[in-house]
This record gives sequence, C-alpha cells and structure tokens, in this order.
Amino acid sequence: MLFSELYGVYFHMVASILTAAVDHTLQPGEMKRIIQETAFGESMLNIPESLGKEHWRLMKDNGTAIIRNVPTMPLTILQKRWLNAIAYDPRIRLFTDEPVIFPDIEPLFLPEDIKVFDQYGDGDPYEDEEYIRNFRLILDAIKHQYPLQISVVSCHGERITTRTLPEYLEYSEKDDKFRLIGTGNKSGNTINLGHIISCGKCSMTEKNVPGKRNLSHPRTVVFEVSDERNALERALMHFAHFKKQAEKLEAGKYKITLCYEKEDETEILIRVLSFGPMIRVVKPTAFVNLIKMRLMDQKSCEL
Amino acid sequence: MIVREAGETMAYSELIKNFNKIRDYMRDFYIYGFKCRDDYTKKSARSYDNEKRRMESWLGDYMQFRRTADGKEVFLSIDSRVTKQNPLYKAWKTKSFTDGDITLHFVILDILASGAEKSFLEIAGQVDSYLEVFDPVRLFDSSTIRKKLNEYVKEGMLVSRRSGKTVLYRRSRENCIPDTDILDFFSETAPCGVIGSFLLDKTARHESCFAFKHHYITGAMDSEVLCAIFAAMHEKRMITVETINREKDRVSEGHLVPLRVMISVQGGRQYLMAYAPRFKRITSYRLDNIVSVKTEAVSERFDELRRKLDRLEPHIWGVSTDSRSGKRMEHVAFTVRYTEEEKHIPRRLEREKRIGIVEYLDQNTSRFSADVFDAGELIPWIRTFICRITDISISNKALENQFKKDLQTMYAMYGLEGGDSHAV
Repeated sequence: MLFSELYGVYFHMVASILTAAVDHTLQPGEMKRIIQETAFGESMLNIPESLGKEHWRLMKDNGTAIIRNVPTMPLTILQKRWLNAIAYDPRIRLFTDEPVIFPDIEPLFLPEDIKVFDQYGDGDPYEDEEYIRNFRLILDAIKHQYPLQISVVSCHGERITTRTLPEYLEYSEKDDKFRLIGTGNKSGNTINLGHIISCGKCSMTEKNVPGKRNLSHPRTVVFEVSDERNALERALMHFAHFKKQAEKLEAGKYKITLCYEKEDETEILIRVLSFGPMIRVVKPTAFVNLIKMRLMDQKSCEL
Repeated sequence: MIVREAGETMAYSELIKNFNKIRDYMRDFYIYGFKCRDDYTKKSARSYDNEKRRMESWLGDYMQFRRTADGKEVFLSIDSRVTKQNPLYKAWKTKSFTDGDITLHFVILDILASGAEKSFLEIAGQVDSYLEVFDPVRLFDSSTIRKKLNEYVKEGMLVSRRSGKTVLYRRSRENCIPDTDILDFFSETAPCGVIGSFLLDKTARHESCFAFKHHYITGAMDSEVLCAIFAAMHEKRMITVETINREKDRVSEGHLVPLRVMISVQGGRQYLMAYAPRFKRITSYRLDNIVSVKTEAVSERFDELRRKLDRLEPHIWGVSTDSRSGKRMEHVAFTVRYTEEEKHIPRRLEREKRIGIVEYLDQNTSRFSADVFDAGELIPWIRTFICRITDISISNKALENQFKKDLQTMYAMYGLEGGDSHAV
C-alpha cells in the first residue's frame, strides 16, 4: 500500500524523537526542534502531548523512551519492488555497475510496461563507456567540489576546452540529456554532457578562480487563452513546470503570466505557437513581435 | 484525521485518511490556481477550509494568495526547475493512523530488534511489559497485536514461519539502500518516484546534485493508481476502474485489460493503454481521471493484446487509436524550408518525429509524412514549424482546412491579415 502511515512524516518524526530519547533524556526544546525540522507547519500543536501516556504511549513523562533500541524499519516489499524496477533503467549504469537488486522480489514495473512517447530521439548515450566515465567524474567533482578541464565539440565542429567548477547536473526529460552547470568558466557555464570529448581533474589558478556563475535572465510573457478545444487545461498542463499565474478574465477567457529564462525564449515561442489561435500573446511587445515575424514569414510561404 | 481509540476523533488534523479527497484540491491549486472559495461548491465550505489549511501546513513555502474581485484565490506556485525534490510528494506522507498503530509499530519493531525469532505469545507478553510503565495501564488485546504482526509480514518488514503449532516472527534482514545520488535522480524521473522519496527519507539530509528541466510533477498525485495498474499488468490481470468526467462531474465504471502506461514528457500527462472488452478495442485513459483501480481475474488474452498494441504503436503519434474522421488511417505530410544557416531544422524533424519519415527534397527543403490513426494529434507539433511550412496535406480534409483557417485567424489576431504591410 503506497498511501501508508509507514512512510508518513509523523512516523519519521517520532523515530527521530525516539532516537534522541533512547540516547539521552530529552532536553527542553529538543523535541520542538526535531518536530520543526522534520514535520509540518502545524505539527507542534499536538505532537508533544500525543507522544505520552494518553495517546501513543511511546514517551514517559520524564522525557525518556519506552523502547530500548534506536528505531529502524526494514525495507518494505513496495520499496524493494521499486528499486528492482529502476535497476532495469539504462541510466542506472551512470551511477553504478552493480545496482541494488532483491532477487526474490518482482520489479514493480518492467521497461515494456511503460513508454515515454514524446521524448526526443537523440538522447545522451547512457551505455557509452566514455560517457559513463565522464558522468561519474563530474558527479564526484560536484560532491567534492574540485574543478574540471573539459573539452567539447562545438556546433561548428571546433574543439573548445574550458575549466569549470561543477555545481550540479541538470536533466531534461524531454531532451533526455544531461547538462553540467558550473562556475568560473569564461565562455559559459553550461556544458552538454553528450558533447564532451574529454574530461579530467585540474587545478584552478588564480587567474581562473571560480566565481563567475550563470546569471539568471528572467523574462515574463503574458498571454490570453481562449478555452476552446480544451485549450485551457492543455495550456495549464503544458506550461505547468514554469512558475506562472493564471487569472480568469471573463467566461471562456483566461490570462496566464509565465516566467522563463531568456535562453529558453525560442522554445517558449514555438510552444506558444503550437496552440495556434487559442493563445494570443499580449505582452511584452518584443515577444509579440517575435510571433508576428514568424507569422509574416509563414504568410510569405503562401500555404 | 488522527483516529483515537474507541472512535474518538480530533476536530482537525494535518493528516488524512482518504487521499482522493486531497488529490483534486492539489490538482486545482497547482494546475488552475484561479479558483475562489465559491468555485469549490461541490465540496462543503468546511471541507475546503480544512484542505486549504492542510496544504498550507504541508506546502507553506509554495502556497500563494491573490485577492480578486471574485474573492481570494489560492494557488501553488512551484518552479520545478529550481525545486530539486517534488514538493507534492509530501501529500503521500500524511496518512492518518490510530494511537494503537503507532504504539505497536515502534514497540514490535523494538521487541524484534535483535533479529531473533519470537513467538506470538512472547511478543504479546513483551508488548504488555513495555506498556505497564504507564498508569493507568491500558493493554492491547491479542487479536490487535496478531493483526499488526500479519500486516507487517504482508508489507515485508517481518518474516513469519510455522514451527509445529507455533508461528514465529522476526524482522526482515536490514538491506542497504542505494546511494543517495540514485535516489535523488530516480525519485524525480522514474514512475512512482514517490517511493524513491520514501527511501530518501531514510537517509541523512543532503543537497541533491541534480536539477530538472521540463519537469512535470503532477503525475505524483496519480502514484497509487499507477502502482495498482503496474501490479495488475504484472500479473496479467483485468481491472475495474472508476473514471471521472470532470466536465460533467460524473464517475463511471469500466472493465479493462491494462496493457501499457504511456508517459508524456512534453505535456505532463500519463495514460493507460487498455483493451476494453465492451467496446472490443484498445484505447487510452488519462491516469488523472482514474479514481480507483480494482484488480480482477487473470486475462488469458493479455499477451495477445499487448502484441496487438505493439503493432498499433507505429501509427500512434500520441495516444489516440482512432480518427475523428472515422477512417481507419489518416495520411499527413508537410514540407518545410530553411536557409543554409538553419540546418537545425531538419535535425529537429529527425529528433522530434516519433514515427513516420523525413525526406530531403533538396538542400533547403524537407518533408515529413506518416500514416497515423489520428492526424489531429500532430497539429500542435506541425504548428511549431510556423514560419517555414510551404505545403501541408492531410487526408482528413476537414482537419487540413481547420489548420489553414487557424493560420488565418492568427494573422488576424496579430493584425497581419492585410498583406505584409504591418511592420513589426
């Protein structure tokens, strides 16, 4: 059963409180701190009282626990089934050659049970040994914060070598690609892992001390959605992963304000176009002009 | 709601008993975000206030409010590119329980902590001795303890075996869990990723090395439905599903052979492809419209039907297996032009086409064509090439005409209907 108290925040929080209480008598304020760190906003209202003799009977009045050992919970079958299922995913090789598998447990799902039907067809090569080596080195560099020297092939076929201090990996499910986001690189801090031809540890000299980050270039576009052909729900779902606000203007007409990064402007533009006349961009003028230019070019095609 | 012993209940609790109750509210707050209190008329005002309060408690950082002429609008504002762990998973960690549930959980696992086997009588006796420290002494009856032990055997946390007339229980072996990098990544990208999040809760707090772009998080709300479908498919069983028609606010029941789950990474929806014996056809069902799943008898036709779906897939662009024109198959073709500097366009065609073929007519012109069940599903994609479409041909002429008419409407919308004279 997935929706179970076994996985709930309260059971985890109580385990944390009991872990402390098994070790020592809880100090004033200690329980409060644990609850605030591990539970929800209003949990403080009833948990301290619930732990005692009236309800859960896990803590004595003197702040000690009735259990004797640090509480732990074995894995459930559901957790094991999920772990067995992800072991079939080719991306698991990026992390380990020997994924955790429970031989006597059936996987929750198999690759043939699912199909991602609109993923782009040129995803990263997850079974390529060189790619795997680079991925693991980058992941290690992120965790241990050391710089890397990376060579990539540019879109013009040139070899470009840069130094970067890796911050995190960004994965796009649509593109099925990983990108490294780093700092301290003059020519851009975003590197497609699929473009890397060599990658190794390096030292940062004083001249290229890390510090230059990818600057955020937030942009906003405002458009109106006419709720025909189920366009409202489709648009709200389609753009759900962005920070956005939706407002009802009148019956069947809605205004959506969408925040995006400048580097994604072309992508946003064609995604807006994909809704045809159901979406009309109203602001800013620069974005409206981008739409107009595309439409004028289309008009010249005399379809 | 925390249910106290003897049915005593608390007026309000952060925890809930029925997930479906919160599922709709979360979806509305996250996807729509423009509804006011009065819009939630089908539920009671008190129910709305309680669910909103719960969500504020679970997801306070993401809850936002806006005052409009219609009233106060509540919405969830989440930028999934910035948030490294799906905040909606929190809802799956709010199941209510009885006082007895939590007491027995910690006491039984503590009694069996050494890994040694113990009989029911030994365990029950020790439970009593743990609780005797409280005054007044309130003990559990045998059947409650036995029920909890058997529940934990079923969940896989305990193992039982019979020795003569005695049943012996012990804890399952403690297993190591994978590296947190694996859990951080797959809890966000694999189906039923919330289970990965449950596993992450067992690890020390850490900063994830991953962020996610184009990341749809609403599928999390359908995790239990998905789990039930996987379980049925694994055993090749039929299912009875209750689906909701949100427009009509009507729930209907269907008997299906579940065959495959189709996941969209461009639209955020998940679908079940299933054979409906009543209609004698394979069709799609949106997971977010499935209210409940009940497992039924094994279907002898599962393998045959899945092979049939495999044969259909080269003609399915999205999830539709039938056309709006009534024809079995529709042909769609369109041609795009591009300059020497726009060689990314034919590359786009190649990587974005899911089925069909791309032909290179000359150095600056390519044509895509495909035979599909429903050409209407391709229209949004074709529109992304607006500015360079020189020809389009769809065997469903009504659809082709609609496409061209929509273009005219767009020209008019942006004041471009009178020739090219409207300067940008």
